Amino acid sequence: MAYLEVGKGPPLVCVHGTLGDFRTWYAVLGPLSQKHRVISVSLRRFYPEHWDGVGDDYKMAQHIADVIGFIEQIEPRPVDLMGHSRGGHIAFRVAQARPDLLRKMVLAEPGGDLDNSLDPAATPGTPSAFAKRILASVNKVKEGDIEGALQNFVDSIDGEGVWRRLPAAAKQQLRDNIFTLLGQAHEARKPYSKTDAEAIRTPTLLIGGGDTQGSLAANWRVLAEHIAGAKTAVIPNAKHWMFEQDPEGYGRVVTEFLAG
Amino acid sequence: MQSLPVNGYDMAYLDVGSGPPLVCVHGSLCDFRIWGPAIGLLSAKHRVIAVSLRHFFPEKWDGVGDTYSIAQHVHDVIAFIEKLDAGPVDLMGHSRGGHISFRVAQQRGDLLRKLILAEPGGELDATLDPDYKGGPSALLQRFTIAANKVAKGDIDGGLAFFIDAIEGPDTWPRVPAMAKQLLRDNATTLIGQVRNNRPPFSKADAESIKMPTLLIGGANTKGLLPKVLNTLAANIPNAKTEMIPGTTHPMFEQAPQKYSEIVLNFLAS
Repeated sequence: MAYLEVGKGPPLVCVHGTLGDFRTWYAVLGPLSQKHRVISVSLRRFYPEHWDGVGDDYKMAQHIADVIGFIEQIEPRPVDLMGHSRGGHIAFRVAQARPDLLRKMVLAEPGGDLDNSLDPAATPGTPSAFAKRILASVNKVKEGDIEGALQNFVDSIDGEGVWRRLPAAAKQQLRDNIFTLLGQAHEARKPYSKTDAEAIRTPTLLIGGGDTQGSLAANWRVLAEHIAGAKTAVIPNAKHWMFEQDPEGYGRVVTEFLAG
Repeated sequence: MQSLPVNGYDMAYLDVGSGPPLVCVHGSLCDFRIWGPAIGLLSAKHRVIAVSLRHFFPEKWDGVGDTYSIAQHVHDVIAFIEKLDAGPVDLMGHSRGGHISFRVAQQRGDLLRKLILAEPGGELDATLDPDYKGGPSALLQRFTIAANKVAKGDIDGGLAFFIDAIEGPDTWPRVPAMAKQLLRDNATTLIGQVRNNRPPFSKADAESIKMPTLLIGGANTKGLLPKVLNTLAANIPNAKTEMIPGTTHPMFEQAPQKYSEIVLNFLAS
């Protein structure tokens, strides 16, 4: 498992989301590494691996087991764990399974659906409209329409027309990981339940972008109500990739939480 | 990060991919991360080694001391390639990093296989430019003001002054947040930059570059950079030039696919 390690201090393990990799955190490496040893991982199958999408080990459970196995090899433990989007889902599950490994946790717009213990409107066994829309990108990748897949992915999250305006550099980082979407169709991600949230004992900060819309904006606020002692922060004028849009603000909020 | 001890300094680098080694040298106010948009494609065929020069992030330099100079950085890159111990490498530099790569090629051609200069920084002396006047850069006075602000702790004030001096008034507020942060992370190098002490390129310098050399530019870049690029290309014996349409100085950020394709073709040929 590849990772980038920068800075000195208590270890802060960072887990990227869908189509991300260790570069996801580049914008906040400076602010965060002032006080921490920032360890930015690339999950199995993500860049720097050049995966062709063949094989069945791109699973939520596999990535959770990998992060646990990774943290078990870090000294000193317990560590601080931060996850963005799908990486926030992974961090949440690590905290549920192995709280002994963690000191504090930061979830930046964690991904995943709510089951009907948290959202009465949810239909058991059925992915949310948002999850279905993201999965439409998988079919586009299968058809060879990489740009269409990326556009659908980004616009589903941050709004129509956002992909087109995204800088080429940001586009390329997502494109480098496009075949991981083929795995994501069968990753077997379970929705969050009330019991799951209540099981979290790790001091937790949930962060969102002030302008994020839809379930990515709603779900972390619901989780925050059910995680004991959870703290929350909103980064104004930012969306799902809030740490790229305001690296200083994001770095300040996280550093203060981890110090407190 | 990984690091190698060079000239008494732990030089940090990112090492990604496998294949023939390609060492990448960033420019002013940048660090190893600047190559982020291109490393995905380049590392499919190469072992990409993106260094951070002495005093750039991840170091948090206080700006004190005289170890920020072209000569020091050239010296460090030479020692780095020697310590890497991977045989002759391909060397790629952007902007000021292109200047450094050029000087490495001039001094230690034995360490390099091929050379890539992406809009190398620097001036042309009288042997290459009949209009050459010499003396300090017209911008030096303003850069010094910017550096003094940074030295006093006014990071954003210093950077705003610096960026606006180069790109025009009120550019800084429009710089994207990520790019601003990269500049902030390297702001103290501005203090070293004003006493950079960079000799201009001469005709003899260019003619001494023996390895296959690719010069890459942004087709829309204005001013001295394209002039230097074209002049060097005309005087380096074994040089090729590629201009990337629709791009300016950070051309590999603006067109990572085209840039990588050009570099990979050149390195494979």
